[in-house]
Amino acid sequence: MGFDPNVVLDYWPQFLEGAALTVRIVAVALVGGLILAAIITAASFVRFAPLKALIMVYLAVVRGIPFIIIVFLVHYGMPFAGIRLPALTTGTIALTLFASAYYAEVLRATGLALPQGQWDSARAVGMSPGEAVRHVIVPQILRPSLPPLTNYTMTMTKESSVLSAITVGELTYQGLVVQGNTFAPFEVFFVVAGIYWIIPALIARATLALERKLGMEENAPGTLSPLARRYLVLDRRER
Amino acid sequence: MSFSFGFFWESLADLAPYALVNLQLGAIAFVLAVTCGTLLTIVRSFKIAPVNMVIGVFISFVRGTPLIIQIFLCFYALPSAGIDMGPMTAGIVAIALNSAVFISELQRGSLRALAVGQLEAATALGLSPLLIWAKVILPQLFRRIVPMLLNEATIVVKGTALLSIITVVELLRAAQQIGAADFRPFEPLVGAALYFLVINLVLATATERVERKIAAERR
Repeated sequence: MGFDPNVVLDYWPQFLEGAALTVRIVAVALVGGLILAAIITAASFVRFAPLKALIMVYLAVVRGIPFIIIVFLVHYGMPFAGIRLPALTTGTIALTLFASAYYAEVLRATGLALPQGQWDSARAVGMSPGEAVRHVIVPQILRPSLPPLTNYTMTMTKESSVLSAITVGELTYQGLVVQGNTFAPFEVFFVVAGIYWIIPALIARATLALERKLGMEENAPGTLSPLARRYLVLDRRER
Repeated sequence: MSFSFGFFWESLADLAPYALVNLQLGAIAFVLAVTCGTLLTIVRSFKIAPVNMVIGVFISFVRGTPLIIQIFLCFYALPSAGIDMGPMTAGIVAIALNSAVFISELQRGSLRALAVGQLEAATALGLSPLLIWAKVILPQLFRRIVPMLLNEATIVVKGTALLSIITVVELLRAAQQIGAADFRPFEPLVGAALYFLVINLVLATATERVERKIAAERR
């Protein structure tokens, strides 16, 4: 079995088109998910039991069922409410909901870890609640949230492949179409995988740049004893 | 069209046996994943440069590409390399390999937190490296990572729903078949979602209990 490069050469515009759509869907879900997550996080700090319960149920449901089922539920559920939308829209909505739950979990966790005193003293020096959130709370939530948010964005990028199941013409779907035309699964799925492989690397780069800008590079770790180095470290280059 | 509760209950009953299919698929994949992941960790610790380089590329590939693509590679592409496993086995292999990588990575992170004193004692006693792994490191490591492993188990169970795409008849595919037969796709889907939710809530509750127990023991 050899690798037939013609598959790539003949169909690269289709792969590229799919990749572009994947990036666009992810970008929309990233922004939409962050906005939704911010609202959920803010709402979860309001002292009103039913609202809290509602948020907990939402988070548990979105995180507890497989993404592919969320996609189908949104896709087939919207017509129930009398709304008929193309697959691309329902798919993007599903991905946005998925992202919002995971983002909200991150923001909530870092928010809860913030000492109450931060809020109290911001108010004590005369900031309005809005100013306290803007100048004291948000900057402190944002920095520690960045690495887990990046991780979930990568997860979301990978999960967007599931939208192929409802015929959204993103990268995986284009791969399946090309595979149907060429009967060359090996070549097709390696190319598709290769393209997916690049996207998280780009996201990681973007985050690194953002982290540098925010001045939050990791501190140098302490030195390890030779024995610890032998058993507890899996990589030579690791310090 | 409105939600039919009658049809919903009916499909809920019809779906019950398929929930077991997902549980079984998930259990097999998870056991395989823990085994392979741990072996991967031990092999990596030997730090043989070429071996670790290959493993490194494999890990990066698995972490960087969607599970669906990995399932497609196992199901569609491996047969042309002479490995034809059928949809169920191919799916289990794909999910298990994927999860093994994530388990090895979480073990890598937790290894750093282990105390060195016991390693020194075991080395002073002349235990062989493999014995040190089996008797000293792994028991401590696994105690630490139980909550993370349970979390990984929920991911594995959710992953089994993707096998519907390669024709494995589990909850999602059964729900789609029921829905197609009655032209009502939504109710059975809600049923399938409910089963997944229950399975994962049980796992999540178990995770919390274990976390609390570990926290209590540390005190």
